[in-house]
Amino acid sequence: MEEIVYSPYFGIALSILAFGIGVKLHQKWKTPLYNPLIVAIVLVAGILLLFKIPYEAYNVGGEIINMFLAPATACLAVAVYSKLAILKQYWLPILVGCTAGSGASMASVYAMCRLFHLDESLRVSLLPKSVTTPIAVSVAESAGGVVPITVVAVIFTGILGSIVAPLLIRLFRVSDPVAAGLAIGASSHAMGTSKAIELGEVEGAMSGLAIGICGMITVLLSLLIL
Amino acid sequence: MKIIKQIGIIFSICWVSQVVEKLLSFTFPASVIGMVLLLLCLLTGILKIGHIQEKADFLLSNMAFFFVPAGVSIINYFDILKSTAVQLVIICTVSTVITFAVTAWSVKYTMKLVNKMAQKKEKEHC
Repeated sequence: MEEIVYSPYFGIALSILAFGIGVKLHQKWKTPLYNPLIVAIVLVAGILLLFKIPYEAYNVGGEIINMFLAPATACLAVAVYSKLAILKQYWLPILVGCTAGSGASMASVYAMCRLFHLDESLRVSLLPKSVTTPIAVSVAESAGGVVPITVVAVIFTGILGSIVAPLLIRLFRVSDPVAAGLAIGASSHAMGTSKAIELGEVEGAMSGLAIGICGMITVLLSLLIL
Repeated sequence: MKIIKQIGIIFSICWVSQVVEKLLSFTFPASVIGMVLLLLCLLTGILKIGHIQEKADFLLSNMAFFFVPAGVSIINYFDILKSTAVQLVIICTVSTVITFAVTAWSVKYTMKLVNKMAQKKEKEHC
């Protein structure tokens, strides 16, 4: 039995199957709660626990999937490059907004971690939680954080952001689509962006740009404080 | 062959960025170095978007999938999660609202400032 699950194909096939189910559920009920990544994580974790399969066995395949994280992060450059025209047009508001937003995110997380007396490793795991998963994970990892905590915090933030974005727009009376889009992207990365695209073309494009720009700014800020 | 070539280009960039990471005296994540390198290659015209389009689309549109193993490793950290779940939820919720408000407001006032300066310039031209 042991050798069967220690095959790399096992972990990869299980992950794809679980993620596929997540995508199907998401298509059927269009709610951010059925996030394909969350569904996949719950399904895989459930199966491992249920059949008492060691995590190390699953991770033989898992490590191969992990290998694609760096190339996927690098390709965020393509997403920024394809929006170069509007980046040039609004470069100052984008730069100011993303810097202020990323700074506010990290400062508020830091302050609350101190308030709740969370330890150092949890603090660095949470600091980059407003940016897209690959960048947040890289920041947390190189600073000695607990990567899965970062992943959970980033996804939670993204789901929350995509649900409350329309509410926040009304609450803070954000009438300008550029400001709305950047605020959504800065606070809830790619998951918020999917909501921003529904709100309008300008909102979607701005939100998409904010993912890459806030990511880079967060890396720079984390260099200064960690 | 087209896809193989694109994979080759992107993986080469990732490898170079790992080398750069080792050479730097401070910790800077290799994947973000890769992102900056790729953006520079595109901006300077060393790479054309067509050289990597399909592979980049594949990676970007399936981004979430690549995080499944990282997320599943949460089963090794259930204790931390259980003991701090309430704090984590509060921290994530409050900071999401703060980040949204700060970004929206700073963009709004920067735009106002930019528009004012543009109007001033126009007046001077008249």
